[in-house]
Amino acid sequence: MPTVQLSKVSVIYGSVVAVDEVDLRIEDGEYVTILGPSGCGKTTLIRAIAGILVPTRGEVFIGEKNMKGVPIEERDIGYVFQNIALFPNMTVTNNVGYGPRVHEKSKEAQVEIAHKYLELVKLLEKMEMFPSELCGGEQQKVSLARALATGAKLLLLDEPLSALDARVRVDLRYELRRLVKRLGLTTVHVTHDQEEAMSVSDRIVVMRAGGIVETGTPAQLYTRPLDIFTANFVGETNLFEGWVTHREEGKSAIELRDGSIIDVATCECAEGDAVVVSVRPEFVFPFTEGMRTRITQTIYMGNYWRIVGMAASEDTVEFDVPVAEGNLYHEGQEVYLMVNRKAAVVYQRPREGIAEAVKLE
Amino acid sequence: MARLERVLEFISRRSIRKGWLALVILFFLSFVIIPTIFVLTYAFTNWDAINSVVLSDPVKMTMITNAIINSFEIAGLVTLIDFMAGLPMAWIMVRKKFRGKALVDTLIDMPLVVPTAALGFSAALFWGIAPGDIVNPLGLGVVSSPLLLLILLHIVFSYPYMVRSLSAILEQIDQNYETAGRTLGASPLTAARTITLPLFRAGLVTGIILCLARSLSETGGTVIALATLSGSKGFNTGPTLIDGWKAIAQTTDPNYNAALAFVSILLIIIALVLMVLIRVVVKRVHLPMGKVWPRPEKLLSRGFFPKLKDSSTMVFLAVMVLLPSFFIFTCVFVFNPTSSGNWGGFGSSIIYSFTVAGVVTLVDLALGVPLALYIARGRSKRLPEVIDTMVNIPLIVPTAALGYSLSLFWVGGNAVNSDVGMLLVILAHIAFTYPLVVRNVTGAVEEVDPAFEETARTLGAKPIQAFRRVLLPMIKSSILAGAIMAFTRSLGETGATRAVVSNANTAPNFIVTLITKAPKDFYSAALACIILIAISYVLMLGLRYFTRRGKGAN
Amino acid sequence: MPSVRLEGVQKRYGDIHAADDLNLEVRDGEYLCLLGPTGAGKTTALRVVCGLTSLDSGKVFIDDKDVTDLEPERRGTALLSQTYSLFPQLTVAENILFGPDIHDLPEEERRRTLADMLDLVRLTKRPDAFPRELSGGMMQRTALARALASGAEVLLFDEPLRALDARLRISLRHELRSLAKSLKITVIHVTHDQDEALVMADRIGLIRNGHILQVGEPAQVYDNPISPFVANFVGQSNFVTGEIIDKGVKTTVKTESGMTVFARPCAMEVGEQVVVGVKIGNTEIAREGDSFFEGIVERVLFEGRNLHIDLLVEGTVHFSAKIPSWRLGKLASGDKVMIKWSPESASVFKMPEKGLREELRVE
Repeated sequence: MPTVQLSKVSVIYGSVVAVDEVDLRIEDGEYVTILGPSGCGKTTLIRAIAGILVPTRGEVFIGEKNMKGVPIEERDIGYVFQNIALFPNMTVTNNVGYGPRVHEKSKEAQVEIAHKYLELVKLLEKMEMFPSELCGGEQQKVSLARALATGAKLLLLDEPLSALDARVRVDLRYELRRLVKRLGLTTVHVTHDQEEAMSVSDRIVVMRAGGIVETGTPAQLYTRPLDIFTANFVGETNLFEGWVTHREEGKSAIELRDGSIIDVATCECAEGDAVVVSVRPEFVFPFTEGMRTRITQTIYMGNYWRIVGMAASEDTVEFDVPVAEGNLYHEGQEVYLMVNRKAAVVYQRPREGIAEAVKLE
Repeated sequence: MARLERVLEFISRRSIRKGWLALVILFFLSFVIIPTIFVLTYAFTNWDAINSVVLSDPVKMTMITNAIINSFEIAGLVTLIDFMAGLPMAWIMVRKKFRGKALVDTLIDMPLVVPTAALGFSAALFWGIAPGDIVNPLGLGVVSSPLLLLILLHIVFSYPYMVRSLSAILEQIDQNYETAGRTLGASPLTAARTITLPLFRAGLVTGIILCLARSLSETGGTVIALATLSGSKGFNTGPTLIDGWKAIAQTTDPNYNAALAFVSILLIIIALVLMVLIRVVVKRVHLPMGKVWPRPEKLLSRGFFPKLKDSSTMVFLAVMVLLPSFFIFTCVFVFNPTSSGNWGGFGSSIIYSFTVAGVVTLVDLALGVPLALYIARGRSKRLPEVIDTMVNIPLIVPTAALGYSLSLFWVGGNAVNSDVGMLLVILAHIAFTYPLVVRNVTGAVEEVDPAFEETARTLGAKPIQAFRRVLLPMIKSSILAGAIMAFTRSLGETGATRAVVSNANTAPNFIVTLITKAPKDFYSAALACIILIAISYVLMLGLRYFTRRGKGAN
Repeated sequence: MPSVRLEGVQKRYGDIHAADDLNLEVRDGEYLCLLGPTGAGKTTALRVVCGLTSLDSGKVFIDDKDVTDLEPERRGTALLSQTYSLFPQLTVAENILFGPDIHDLPEEERRRTLADMLDLVRLTKRPDAFPRELSGGMMQRTALARALASGAEVLLFDEPLRALDARLRISLRHELRSLAKSLKITVIHVTHDQDEALVMADRIGLIRNGHILQVGEPAQVYDNPISPFVANFVGQSNFVTGEIIDKGVKTTVKTESGMTVFARPCAMEVGEQVVVGVKIGNTEIAREGDSFFEGIVERVLFEGRNLHIDLLVEGTVHFSAKIPSWRLGKLASGDKVMIKWSPESASVFKMPEKGLREELRVE
């Protein structure tokens, strides 16, 4: 059964280190997403697992077997490409039947297997068509069926949804997870879309500049990220600059630049430390006292209103209010804000500056 | 400034743009297309002459039949060999990275720019002329059959066309297809054969047509190679037949005009029909790609076999293409004081050739670039599509036939004085080099996303400004490449020149005369060839320089 | 300051209607998002406005002036294509100065424009960089500066954020909009991303098959969609079909399987076949209490701020709900839940002629 293990994998192109000594273990049947901004090395990493490129240093194990010298076609993987890469000169059936074909299955078996997997992605009625006659979402489903039809137990997804429309993307990601879990596959999925990563994965690996920042379940990364980069990358967040003025189990105080105080439940930093407090917009709420903030913009988000403001501490603040209360807020108004102390996460203030630490590209 | 503004304003008007375009198309039709195939009308206007001079003369008929069979036999075999050896070479050049790749790339292109007359002599020295001969101490001297010698010669200059066409297509085929096949369990060979190869058809058609056309057209090198071979008396190809008869028609027997017309018509019609057939056949034929043999193919994908394939491809390039074309340089080691070269004559012929090539290139550029723009940006419309197809005609028609057709169109096939002769040579060279420029530039423009020019226009640029400031810098290198290609082709052309004016004073013609006319002066010919080759290589390096820079900027 | 108006624009490519009686009015200084699926004719609409696509029929007005036959360079409408089309052989500064150079502005003015623009898009440190050396976000900003420097007062954005990472996209929404607003330019922004449209637009125009379905402020389009397609494209919706059995302060609809649901008042009559649509965010689920019907939790997906819950109703109908993520852990697959919604949040639509499934197709 396939587990994937990377040990000290580095990929170096000339003077560019695309992947830098990455260690990672993926368990059998696990759905792991590698998440990171463009150029963080995530695609290089998945290509190294597939054998499309050979790591400069380090080793890749699939099913506990060292893959050194094992060519792509003998790694027993399913691979879905970002640009879909369906064979343009073959029908949908022949595309899906290609795996069985090169595994010397009989003509009948090829068709039978192809139909079985097309049924799985609910595209049986399109089996005689050519890829160019399908729309983007359907193409990617066929490409998924093709990858599954080899019977591989390890599925590698290289930004499978990023070529698609936003709406199609949302529908397809649920489909993806449903199928994979039903077939009990081990899956490695690469993406730059944090929402996509959260909704499909058992575990997320956050990458930046060729290295792993941190790993965790979606809920862990969203609610208690260990790194300030993760806090900002996995969902939107407010970042307040301040100093720890009081530290106590369950209730510490952070003073902001204008002297206002944020109470937080957990704080790993020592009194006097320069820190950054991260609070997601849904955990900031208006109150009778707290941070004085001038509203600069109100945005309708369908299920809630997103209010944007500038706090007296010169931190930008975003907070959410229910639809029904939207008319209570308008541009230019002054409000006082509190944060949910349990939802606040405190980080040492990064030496390179906050902007640099959370930079997205 | 205000005046410039007004000029821009004026030429940006839709009516002016349309008028200019009409002029370009008119030029294309009346100076390129119609002269090229004008000879076909001879069959209607002078059928009686053809009937009396040719059809009722069994000796001529046998000569014609044999020559044409020879031509197509050579072209067919050459193309087949080119394809077999060219496919692995294309793969190496596109998919592999290795040290010295740039050098191999340059070497493959070399024969493209060397005048075929020089190439023919060099190849003949390498394969054919006995090593005992005074100018040829190192030659192999193993080939005595004229057919075999010509096949070996034609491979030298057609092979690069095949490799280039196949590489161009392979570059456009997303490598992910093959990788996808491999992730599905196919070995590299299976994936290449079942996925990439079927996507190759378009490139295959261009490659085959270019090779066939080049081989069918070739005159200078062929004439020379045959002249060096003692056992080749009476052996002709289509172009050499035209070449020989043109001289007779021009000097002794005007009756030969009918025979010339007849051969030209046959060559043109067979060539055109063949091209259409190839298009249809290659599109229809399904190679047996459905079958897979995973185990043997896997074996062939591993270890020893790919290396064997790659190294034999390289050996082919070295022995069959490069050695024969460079071989002539061994003549430098021979000192032959008895030779009495007419170097003044050679000098003036080089000046003549350069003048022709220069004028031809300028005209090609001035009128070819607008046509290329029209074709590339008018896709999906009817007229540009039609013109696009027509552009290929002069490339396909054997240049000797083209030359005769052209002289028939402009001066009724008669002999002319040397000034008019030069003009005719220029017109003839325009006819077959113009498509080269148009092809090159069309290809380059199609690579450029129209969004660049469109964005420029929404930023306030007039069409001419959008072209000059945005598109032109992007396709500059391709325009230059096209220009250099046109220049070298004009410089190296023999067949068309001699079919228009059989004693035109071009450099290749000078060499041909040295070798074919008694007393044969191989030594002077060899030195002249070396000089011509040296000039061509310098041009070639210029071409590489500009195209490389073009790639770097993108 | 310019407004833009399209009147009855028709454009066909073979059998495809890229624009089919397209009518659209963009007000002066407005930020309008044109939202629709791939192939809806969004890009065609933009190209019609800037004159790159000729019309089969119809008229284009800019600032109430008929510009239907005017060349693109005279319209003052700058297009930002999806890939930005920065001229690769020019530096950032030269790209930005493309417009001023064409218009032959005096040196002094060129220099000032360049300085202003570099400052505006935060590229003062990279004026000599070539486009290929820039990150996606910088390329986008350079293209924007180039468009502004050309003096255009109408900017046409063709999916300007598509080529960027998902997270970066979210951060740049705000920046792009406030820049346009501060310069008081009119913007038509084409996108297929409904969140982007909701966040950025003054008004949203829904487009499908070359035709504008609905134009309105984000809240209006979100809360009062005019068709099931709009309801589902701007924020996902759940749908039930049935027959109106009572109307008044709320509409009562009885489904084929005999369940009764409520929706807001509507103009349709008792007995008509209708579709009731409710946003998944307004679909309430609870362990107990009164409800319209029951469902079984199929799966719970954590999306950060929200949980996405997929439910199966009566073994066949798929429903979804979106609830705040602090309720994680209280629900698991296989749980039985009660489903309902407040009648005001549900819309009633005529049964679409081609069936509901066809109506909801997004590709």
